[in-house]
Order: sequence, then C-alpha cells, then structure tokens
Amino acid sequence: MHKDDQMTPNERLMAFMTGKPMDRMLAMPVACSMSGLALGMTHKEKKSTAYNEAMAQVACYERFGNDLTITEYGLHGVGAALGSKMSEPEDAVPAIMSYALEDLNDVDQLDMSKLELKNDNKFQIHLEATKILIEKLGHEVPTGVLISGPFTAAASIYKTENLLRATRKNPEKLHQLINFCNEGLKMIYREFIKAGAVILLCDPIASGTILHRKQYLEFVLSYTIDLMQDIHDAKGMVCYHICGDTTAIVGDMVTSGCDMLSIDNRVDLTHAKNVAGHKVPILGNVDPVEIMYLGTPDDVDKAVKSCIQKAYDSPSGYILASGCDLSGNIPLENIDQFMESARKYGKWPLDPKNFL
Amino acid sequence: MSLSKEALLKKLSDGVVNMEEEEVVEACNEYIEAGYPAFDGIMEGLVDGMNRASQLYDEEEYFVTDVLLCSDAMYIGLEILSPHMPESELERVRPKGVIGVVEGDTHDIGKNLVKIMLETAGFEMYDLGRDVPLQSFIDKAIEVKASFVCLSTLMTTTMPGMATVVNLLKEAGIREQVKVVIGGGPISKKFADTIGADGYSPNAVEAVKLVKNLLNIA
Repeated sequence: MHKDDQMTPNERLMAFMTGKPMDRMLAMPVACSMSGLALGMTHKEKKSTAYNEAMAQVACYERFGNDLTITEYGLHGVGAALGSKMSEPEDAVPAIMSYALEDLNDVDQLDMSKLELKNDNKFQIHLEATKILIEKLGHEVPTGVLISGPFTAAASIYKTENLLRATRKNPEKLHQLINFCNEGLKMIYREFIKAGAVILLCDPIASGTILHRKQYLEFVLSYTIDLMQDIHDAKGMVCYHICGDTTAIVGDMVTSGCDMLSIDNRVDLTHAKNVAGHKVPILGNVDPVEIMYLGTPDDVDKAVKSCIQKAYDSPSGYILASGCDLSGNIPLENIDQFMESARKYGKWPLDPKNFL
Repeated sequence: MSLSKEALLKKLSDGVVNMEEEEVVEACNEYIEAGYPAFDGIMEGLVDGMNRASQLYDEEEYFVTDVLLCSDAMYIGLEILSPHMPESELERVRPKGVIGVVEGDTHDIGKNLVKIMLETAGFEMYDLGRDVPLQSFIDKAIEVKASFVCLSTLMTTTMPGMATVVNLLKEAGIREQVKVVIGGGPISKKFADTIGADGYSPNAVEAVKLVKNLLNIA
C-alpha cells in the first residue's frame, strides 16, 4: 500500500461499490503507454516481454499508489494479428503502416483463427503480463486491460477513411467487418476476464470528432451492447471509453450496458454527469496532454480540483481519472501530484469546503 | 435542349454538395461539350460546391464522412475539367504550402481534410502524406518555395517532431519565409506557442482562415 493511503485500492473499490466509507476518492491516472518511464524503459522495451510490461505497472503502482494497474492488448491488436503492418519505434506508440484488408469486398476472407490465443504471439505476451501482474498485485489492486472496441478494431484492419466512405457506399460489407471484429473481440475479452482483468473497452475511432451520432448508433452502439452483454455473461466488468468530443453520444454510450463510463477531456464533465451519471460511475477527465504532459504540478493540482468540483456529486459515483491514456514523456512528478491532489481534495468524507 | 452555363454550374456545385459523383461527371462532360470555360466550371461550380460543403461542416450539419464524399465528387470533376484549362490559368501563381503527418504517425484524415479545404481556397498544396521524415518538410519547402508548412499528428509521442521541423527550418535559414501551422488531436495553441510555430488550428475550416491571416490574404 502507498505510504500516504490507509486502504488498498481493492478495499477502496469494494467500499465504493457498496457505498461504504473509504479513506479517499478513487484515482485512476491512465498510466498505460508511458508506464515504462517508471522503470527507465523505452516503450518498445516495455512491450517486448510480458515480464517487462507487468513490472512497469508494478513500478507505477509502487510509486503512485494509483487505483488501477493496466496492461494492454491495445487498439491495433486485432488488425496486427490479421496482417496489418505496424511501425516499431523505439520510444513511441506504434502506428499502422499498411492494412490487412485492401478491399472491403474481401471481408469474407478474414481468418478468425489468427485472432486465437494460440496463434497470436502478442496476445500471449499481453495475457501473460496480465497474469503476472495479478499474481504480484492482485491481492491489493485491480488490473484492467486496455483493448479496442469494435469500430476501432475494424479501423485496424481497414483504412479509416475508407471505413467512413463505406458507411454510405457499402454498409452491408462494413456491417460484416464490424460483426467479424465483435466475434473476435468476445473471444479475446473472455481470455482476459478469465485471468481476472477488468475490460477497459476503448473505441477512439468511434469518436464524435469523426462520426456523426447516426453513424455511431448504426455502426457502433448495437455491436457494443452485444459485447457488453457477452462480457457480463462471462462475469466480467467493463469500463467504456471513447476519445475526443463525445458530447453528442455520451447519453447513448451509457445505454450500452457498461459498468463505468470514462470521459475524454474534450467533454464537459458536468454534461457527462447530467446525462449519464444517474446510470453508472463516471471517470474523468484531466487533460493528458495539455496538463499531464505539458503542464506543471501546479496545473495538475488545479485540474484535479476542477474535475472534482464538477463531478464529485455524480449520482452513481465519481472516480478521478485522466481523460485518456497517458502517453509520451510525461513528467512523473505530474502523476505524483495527481495522486497527491486526489488525497487532498478527495479526502473522505468528501467535504465540498475542501474543493469548492 | 442543352442547359445554360448557369444551370450547369449549379449542377456541378450541387453535385459536389450532395456527394453525387455521377451527376458531377455528367455535368462536367456536358459543360465541356457546350464549350464553356473550364476555369469557371472549376471555380464557380466544383469549388463553389466544396465551399458550401465546408460551410455546412463548420455549422456541424456535415461531418467528416460528408466532407470526404463531397471532396471525392469534386476531385472526380477536377479530373475532367482540369485538362481543358488554358495554359495561362495553369501557370497562374498561387501561394504554395507543404502538408503532411509527421514521422511516426499515420493518422491522416485530419491532414487530408485540411489539404482539401486549402486546395479549395486556392492554395497549391504539396502533400507529403503520412509518416513523413521531418527533413522532407524542409527539403520540399525549399524545392517549391513554399510560403507555409502544415504539420499534423494525432499521437502524443510524435508531437516533438513538430518542434524539430521548426528548428530544421531555422537551421536551413528559411524560418522567416515559411509560416508553420500545426494541428491534430493532442495539439493546442499552448503547444504551438511552446515550439514557436506560427499558429494552431482546431479544425480544417479554421486552418484556411489561419493561413490566410498569416499570409495577409483577404
């Protein structure tokens, strides 16, 4: 347990879910992409073995006392397993260089077996990392796996721009592609759920910055409802996140059946609280770039305070979090400050005098 | 009876706004056969349609998909009309810009939207594509005597590349002649100021206004 806390993250989460008192508000900076920094490892080094991936999370937890450790199947995993080519930068997040599917009409030829655990080395590494992490810290802190949703999985197989064109010009085949992704994702999610991880379902390509609400409803939400149901059938728990400006769809996202909703910093937390807060706990939304990457500890303190002001009274509960994955050369002092401010303003019982 | 020039221009413009490629092709062929000037067909037909589309995008009536499909229709029309442009028009000097997604990143929808809008606004754009080696921006800017460079990225880990481009322009001694504008998901005005870029735009429509402002074009 972190020296400044009185409860473990597991105890705190249990108290949160059962409405019991706790020492402080839950705080989950999404320390995923940047986690190698805590061990002085580059991004590539960290992702090269299951052990490294797990130990980077252990190091983050030991330093910050954050309430969620995170492994990643990633956003490109489905496409990569099917043959999309990724860049392999030493110290940055990989990008897709070429796509497994050139012509959407070839969607029938995609081979589901390539997504299976026994056939996908990267999947094996990330699952193993999850198991190591849960073995080392599972008694104390929950582990989540960052993993793509259906639309983003489709965009890792077939170029996004053409995916958008297909929403008008070839919707039938596009539905087939997304359905394929959904079936694959169910199989993948189930392996992580079996290992004991919470599913952190991220669907950035379904962002309101890219899709119109009508497209979201037709090509994303119905599939996501199906996925959420399958996660629950497998006795899993899921937090749903879409990047960018989702103001227009937050109210729809919460109808997916997710257990928690994570809100990007481009959305006003007050709005999210008003349209979704009565259904599920809300996570969010300190700006990962402007504040956590480019800001000072003082900026972090102000941003944390402002988030708590807006969402502390969300009807189904509020969890302080960053608005998205922390990526790049984030000053670790900023994450220290994030947690320190959570302990200061989020001290239990919550007293608005401390932060209003 | 064939349509008047005005009616055909409207058909071209409407075809672009309504994303109807076949209508555009038909109207372009009819327009050329009738012997009307290609330049007007482009500017008062196709580009007018794209301007209307960008207005609708600005008003949040149109979304990314709509703009892409409108631009598909515009570019199909351009392929038909451009070969009929007189030499004098082709040689007309337009302000030149270099655009690309910085090295390490391949997310290019935003970059493509900005390119479309800038081309529609009359700029001559050199698109280096995605995952562009940073030095290439400088080399291209020198080669074509560009007045501005547009840099885009969606990933935090590739943001520092933008600062490198600014510095490379300085080293090449052309920083004063070349405006640098940046954009993309994680980018902000604050970041633009930090790295010494000339401007930041949150979207494609604003990017056109920004470049025009920086180059003092009304």
